[in-house]
Amino acid sequence: MSIELEHVSFTYSKGTPYEKEVLHDISLTIEKGEFVAIIGHTGSGKSTLIQHLNGLLHPTKGKALLDGTDLSGKTKEARAARGKVGMVFQYPEHQLFAETVYEDVAFGPRNLGLTEDEVEQRVREALQFVGLDYDALAQRSPFNLSGGQMRRVAIAGVVSMKPDYLILDEPSAGLDPGARRDVFREILSLYKKQGIGIIMVTHSMEDALQFANRLLVVYDGRIIMDGKPAALFRERRKELQDVGLDIPEIYKLKDALRAKGLAIPETVTDTASLLKEIRKRKGLK
Amino acid sequence: MLGDITLGQYYPGNSFVHCLDPRTKILVTLLLIVAIFLAQSVPAYVALWVMVFFVIAISKLPFLLVFKSVKPLLFIILLTLAMHVFVGQGETVLYQWKFIRITQEGIAMGIKMSMRLMLLLMISSVLTFTTSPIVLTDGIESLLRPFRCIGVPAHELAMMMTIALRFIPTLLEETDRIIKAQTSRGADFQSGNILQKAKNMLPILIPLFISAFRRADDLAVAMEARCYRGGEGRTRMHQLAYRGGDAAAFVFGIAMIVFLVLLRWGPLAAKL
Amino acid sequence: METKQQAPFIDIKDLSHIYTDTENNEVLALDKVNLAIRPGEFVAVIGTNGSGKSTLARHLNALLLPSEGTVKIQGMDTLDETKLWEIRQNVGMVFQNPDNQIVAAVVEEDVAFGPENIGVPPDEIRQRVEDALKAVGMTEYRTRAPHLLSGGQKQRVAIAGTLALGSNCIVLDEPTAMLDPQGRKEIVGTVRKLNKEKHITVVYITHNMVEAIHADRVVVMKKGRILFQGTPQEVFSRVEELEELGLEAPLAAKVAFELRKTGMKLPQGIITNEDLAQALA
Repeated sequence: MSIELEHVSFTYSKGTPYEKEVLHDISLTIEKGEFVAIIGHTGSGKSTLIQHLNGLLHPTKGKALLDGTDLSGKTKEARAARGKVGMVFQYPEHQLFAETVYEDVAFGPRNLGLTEDEVEQRVREALQFVGLDYDALAQRSPFNLSGGQMRRVAIAGVVSMKPDYLILDEPSAGLDPGARRDVFREILSLYKKQGIGIIMVTHSMEDALQFANRLLVVYDGRIIMDGKPAALFRERRKELQDVGLDIPEIYKLKDALRAKGLAIPETVTDTASLLKEIRKRKGLK
Repeated sequence: MLGDITLGQYYPGNSFVHCLDPRTKILVTLLLIVAIFLAQSVPAYVALWVMVFFVIAISKLPFLLVFKSVKPLLFIILLTLAMHVFVGQGETVLYQWKFIRITQEGIAMGIKMSMRLMLLLMISSVLTFTTSPIVLTDGIESLLRPFRCIGVPAHELAMMMTIALRFIPTLLEETDRIIKAQTSRGADFQSGNILQKAKNMLPILIPLFISAFRRADDLAVAMEARCYRGGEGRTRMHQLAYRGGDAAAFVFGIAMIVFLVLLRWGPLAAKL
Repeated sequence: METKQQAPFIDIKDLSHIYTDTENNEVLALDKVNLAIRPGEFVAVIGTNGSGKSTLARHLNALLLPSEGTVKIQGMDTLDETKLWEIRQNVGMVFQNPDNQIVAAVVEEDVAFGPENIGVPPDEIRQRVEDALKAVGMTEYRTRAPHLLSGGQKQRVAIAGTLALGSNCIVLDEPTAMLDPQGRKEIVGTVRKLNKEKHITVVYITHNMVEAIHADRVVVMKKGRILFQGTPQEVFSRVEELEELGLEAPLAAKVAFELRKTGMKLPQGIITNEDLAQALA
């Protein structure tokens, strides 16, 4: 099971004076069960890239395939393949439309042509997955919920499609730290329990380090780095900073400590082991 | 992509016409439209075509671009032509079969009427090609100002147009995103009868309306915070000012009218 | 401390704000808030959603009026209607959504919007717009369409709009919440520069601690009240209380806090990585 991009290039507004190639010859394979973080500046082409992964945009050159099926096709198989890749856009709560939470989350499953019993089952599961109480919320208007809850309803609306892959474009944008933590907890449990592939666009290096097992760095329409987050931060920190991207705070702290002669091993990437290491160095338990 | 739609049809440039005051361009366009309606005789139409070509030339617009502006109304122009040609009035009958009656006068009238429409479209599109929507708004506001005393809300109209110009691209982007989001949830906007199709649009329209209201709300607060309190006592950074070129343009517009009046009613009129 | 004796620029006394929500309940959004801000001070207000920080912001230029108590801007009471426009000229506002506060379809026209509203003569508007765009580093974008700018650039245009209005105090209500890291840096940098070089009084509302690190004073709010306040060093050292509120202290402060807990002796006020490295060296 995998999504494959083969030599994908994409040009916006082809044939007009505004024509611009925003992706250049990208080849990429994402397996089901991976948690991929995509990082890049605004305008680097990462939004365009993710829209190729579920057939919302079609490559100008090259191919986007899901298990061998061309995602840009017009066949029934192509449509089904696109349905296997769920997409949560930035600020997904701005796409809520139904009168009740139930109706909104049921929109996707109904479009799949499921029976009403199956739809209800899907809605229950999806709300549970994003940590919302079905009995308390299903019949309420989504527009009277808090920002964090609205976001989770919107995510549930995609989860209820039971995708094999879930793409999330900055799922925590605009939320306060508490709501952020909630949203990430749901995403992580979805990943662990359902074993689906997660592809998450983020601006936060901490999130990439903490959650992802693969990191793609997009710069100027190309993937310039692809690897394990910790390894990339360890070995190619300088390059990241050269293209104006941040590194996680813990690496900055370690750099500051090293500058004062307190070298912390490269294997330390979280606060708990950092504390342990400092205590050891200072002769404390 | 919805984002490809360019707003208005402004064709940036630095020509004599581009640099005219927007009020001049609006008023002279009106004068030329009056001139077009005055035309009766063949020489008058020749004069008008020469005038339009002259205006396009000094605007430094591609001729083809201006001709294309006729396209959206091509059907109506052809219909006008057909109506006059096939159900013509007049004495000189060339052909008659049942209700179809082709006359020399009818053909002449058909050509005149469709030419009139084409000339109107072309001359007014020169205005929109050479004037950015923002400047055009300023011009309209300034021209309507004297009518405030009879209740024409000149400032409010202009402010509404400005805000529309500012937010249309933003809302187009938003629409694009909502369509994509609902598409990836399996939404279908194509199939079904008209009623079904209309219903299928709700998942796009409702979020779009909600967002537009939210934006309007935010914008109202932001405007209030920046001391907005209507048109009263407001000044403008860009003051419109007539220059030498504007006088020339007015002279040109009035000359066209005088010329066409002479062609129609003047001493030569009888001979044409 | 000579500055302490200066008359406050913003003087809030026992400010309460009550509103009725969509379900007709009365909500106490601000509960007897007292706060005085000196001219030229950089105050960060932090708190989670619903802490009342945005409501507080809107009281500072009379977009909202007190249910109880008073808000005075340079001695002018926001309840005094005759002073309304003077207050709004003095206190500029920058809001969260960069798209929803730009009025005009050209950058310089938008910056001119404020001064146009208060009837400044055209030549002076041109001068103000030029100065304001220069101060935020947006001069080269003056004739661009706002929707083609990045989020950070849009917010800088919004800041320029307040400067052109003649504001000597800017209230920013979560200005970076919708921006990428690059945009954040632009805004934080611009605001610091205006505060340092032009002595603009800044009230910076955020839930991002890192952005508050350079403030003169940090005010922490919860449920309509000021919970505690102090220098960033004082506030960020209260790691446990911040986390209880759902806020995140900077990593260095957290590490220092944990180390102290297990008996390590460290000086107070460690909030940056460099502070911590220095203390451990």
